[in-house]
Amino acid sequence: MGDGTRAAQAEVNRARARARTGTVRVVRAVGWTLVWLGLLTLGFVVHQVWITSWFARQHQTVLATERLAYFADAVPVEAEVTVEGSIVPEDEPAPEAEVLALPLVVESAPELHSAFALIRISALENLAEGWNVVEGVDVSDLKTGAGHIPATPLPGQPGNSVISGHRTTYGAPFNRLDELVPGDRIEVDTAIGTHVYEMRTSVIVAPADVWVLEPRQGAWLTLTTCNPEYSARERLVILAELVEGPNAEVIGMMR
Amino acid sequence: MIRRAYAALPGPTAARVAASVGIVAVLLVGLHFFYEWLGGWLLDSGGTVG
Repeated sequence: MGDGTRAAQAEVNRARARARTGTVRVVRAVGWTLVWLGLLTLGFVVHQVWITSWFARQHQTVLATERLAYFADAVPVEAEVTVEGSIVPEDEPAPEAEVLALPLVVESAPELHSAFALIRISALENLAEGWNVVEGVDVSDLKTGAGHIPATPLPGQPGNSVISGHRTTYGAPFNRLDELVPGDRIEVDTAIGTHVYEMRTSVIVAPADVWVLEPRQGAWLTLTTCNPEYSARERLVILAELVEGPNAEVIGMMR
Repeated sequence: MIRRAYAALPGPTAARVAASVGIVAVLLVGLHFFYEWLGGWLLDSGGTVG
């Protein structure tokens, strides 16, 4: 083999080595990228499922103290609600525009972002002990507890009181709302007492379907959460009607 | 990569370690906020309507 041939072979070998090195570098870079993406994804799952829930539970401890202080300071007030001709025995003719004044126990509006109620659902293991409810549904409110939409009546009052909560993160208080069946009891403790609602129905709506917030005759509690689990694509809405509590009888008479 | 980044830090070992801890802390806080945003957008926005 001549010198020229050996030199040519050596050049070929060097070229092959360079190619191998390049391929190894690409494979190594792809491999490390996948490793880091896997770690970031794993971190995301751990953060969302465990870390946010840990934070929420710490907040719940603080909110429980805040709520109990609110209960101790709040002064229930009896107000009157006027109803025109709503109470008429079936065997009597309806009077003309009779106006009745019915006593209703009310509380002043709680401060925004503060805890003012406790929601309990004995049928659901994770809510049997209760979860504190704060006034407001800002992102920061819902990280700490369930949130009451301030534009709707307080629980136990006439109309449609709406409370929202997380389904999968931040303690996931409303994780198992889909397991509720008609007749299940939902209890809400407020400064004026415990209001007991019975689940009537559930519906799945789009996140922008604000009709679920609209006022209703009687006293209703509407619970909203994300649906399906692990997705913010829709909302699961639970509709429950007041059956017991400081105002249940009066509100029943208003119908 | 991590070793090279650490080696590129200036100063004595103590300063490098302190700088590393600081950088990792900033990265973790940034990651926390990124995960919060991503989770709210992707997994669970809080369940409110409207």
